[in-house]
Amino acid sequence: MKMKPKSILAFLALVLALLLAAGAVMSQEDVKSVNDPAFTSPTRPAPIFFHDAHNAKAGLDDCSVCHHVYEGGKKAEGASSEGQACSECHMKGKSTRPLIKAYHGMCRGCHEERKAGPVQCGECHSKRGPEALEGRGK
Amino acid sequence: MHTLYYLAAGPFAIAAFVLLAGGSLFRLVRMGLLARKKDPAVFDYMSARYGFRSLFHWLVPFGSRGMRLHPALTIASFLFHVCAIVAPVFLYAHVLLIDESWNIAWVHIPDGAADAMSLVVIAACVFFLVRRMKSPEVSYLSTWRDYAVLALVAAPFVTGLWSFHQFPGFRYAGIIHMLSGELLLASIPFTRLSHMIFFPITRAYMGSEFGAVRNARDW
Ligand code: HEC
Ligand code: HEC
Ligand code: HEC
Ligand code: HEC
Ligand code: HEM
Ligand code: HEM
Repeated sequence: MKMKPKSILAFLALVLALLLAAGAVMSQEDVKSVNDPAFTSPTRPAPIFFHDAHNAKAGLDDCSVCHHVYEGGKKAEGASSEGQACSECHMKGKSTRPLIKAYHGMCRGCHEERKAGPVQCGECHSKRGPEALEGRGK
Repeated sequence: MHTLYYLAAGPFAIAAFVLLAGGSLFRLVRMGLLARKKDPAVFDYMSARYGFRSLFHWLVPFGSRGMRLHPALTIASFLFHVCAIVAPVFLYAHVLLIDESWNIAWVHIPDGAADAMSLVVIAACVFFLVRRMKSPEVSYLSTWRDYAVLALVAAPFVTGLWSFHQFPGFRYAGIIHMLSGELLLASIPFTRLSHMIFFPITRAYMGSEFGAVRNARDW
């Protein structure tokens, strides 16, 4: 059987898409801590955050819970912003205070609401880094 | 553990600030009413000039005779007061938490500076304690309440340091920190710590009495 050039192209496109998707998943797996480049001189250790393990454990299938998009002041359903750092939208001017508030509001906010997950400074900004959770199944 | 945190971070914190503000107001109003009944002339001879003159001499190190007589105590007391006020008010963590809760923000000092100041406060508390126990004329006048006040003041600084450095058990230290800090704030109007509310008034009163009425110095 001889393949038509069109289907070869389609096949190649599919392979490329799969590779890209795998790449995205791999890079998420690499996320062990939140390290927003907007904090040019951080004062505390980077907070522990095993991206995929965290979201599996907390039952967060919907990416837009965190990677959200707002339209007209309301959270847009069905749209998400993964790939964009929080600082791209939450840094106004030079002050990092609004960005810190965004991170704390989202992370600590949900932990407080669900009464699960870290709430004290040292639990997230752990001096021991991600190793503090490694070895206990993350 | 979580439940204790939520109590300390929410209702207890609000209760502490309300007690601090309400209690201070109550004590001030009551003092004003008492003064009107017992010594109504106060309101006539209260003088801004002599009041501030006296305050100034008591706020500047070695500005009063008592301070010159006890140099070690004066230095310890001065360092203690500067650090005990500056460190908690301008601590980054406190400023952030207040900003996140009530959208009120002000400048902060670096964590390293706050850390050093906490150590100074703790050292000064130890000094005050030793002085109370060792010096006969002070220990004679001391009651359990004087010791309790020292412990009350030292507790948030010790536990704050503990939590910041993530020493073993820092999660418990963090919760004890919040609870002890709230206890301290709430107790300010009702213990000897109310001196921070009354100090400017008593000094202004003494200053006016000595300056405007007796033509003398009170420092
Ligand atoms: C609990 C909140 C949360 C949820 C839910 C979440 N993410 Fe993320 N994600 C983050 C944070 C925070 C970062 C930024 C990490 C950083 O800046 O270092 C991130 C980063 C990423 C990145 C960039 C990785 C990199 O290397 O920079 C990708 C891609 C991503 N997330 C995809 C997803 C997808 C897909 C989902 C849904 C299956 C998802 N996220 C769900 C919080 C979340
Ligand atoms: C595409 C731009 C965009 C990105 C990326 C983004 N946000 Fe937002 N976010 C917004 C907008 C717009 C709002 C609503 C207006 C506001 O409160 O600033 C908002 C609101 C919020 C709020 C307040 C929600 C509430 O209920 O009051 C928090 C907290 C927050 N974002 C945290 C984050 C975090 C953490 C990230 C990164 C994981 C992030 N945001 C990524 C645009 C974005
Ligand atoms: C929508 C809710 C939600 C959001 C948003 C969220 N978390 Fe969580 N997180 C949880 C829950 C629920 C748990 C507890 C999971 C468990 O132990 O069962 C948790 C646990 C954790 C843990 C402890 C994991 C462990 O294995 O002990 C860390 C660390 C953590 N979260 C960090 C973060 C950070 C950093 C962010 C912000 C980028 C964040 N979380 C945002 C819900 C959330
Ligand atoms: C639920 C996890 C969590 C908790 C609890 C938490 N933080 Fe954060 N914090 C974050 C995340 C995520 C960021 C973003 C860090 C980054 O991108 O590098 C952040 C950023 C910061 C920053 C700015 C970056 C830096 O290092 O200067 C400061 C300051 C900070 N946090 C202080 C605190 C303090 C103080 C507390 C306790 C009152 C606290 N945080 C509690 C998650 C947390
Ligand atoms: C409403 C009550 C309070 C809350 C919720 C609170 C919360 C906190 C938090 C979250 C930290 C940071 C810990 C860390 O970095 O891990 C901290 C540190 C600290 N707190 Fe408080 N606090 C309270 C009251 C007080 C009071 C009343 C004082 C002193 C008068 C105080 C003195 C300190 C000091 C000195 C530190 C820093 C220690 C250091 O960096 O070495 N706090 N507090
Ligand atoms: C408004 C600012 C304040 C003023 C003007 C003030 C003034 C004074 C004065 C004049 C003394 C007695 C002097 C001495 O013993 O050497 C004193 C003692 C003391 N102050 Fe303050 N104070 C203030 C705030 C505070 C704060 C914020 C705290 C604690 C959080 C505090 C805790 C103490 C303690 C514990 C003592 C007694 C020390 C001992 O045992 O000898 N003060 N203060």
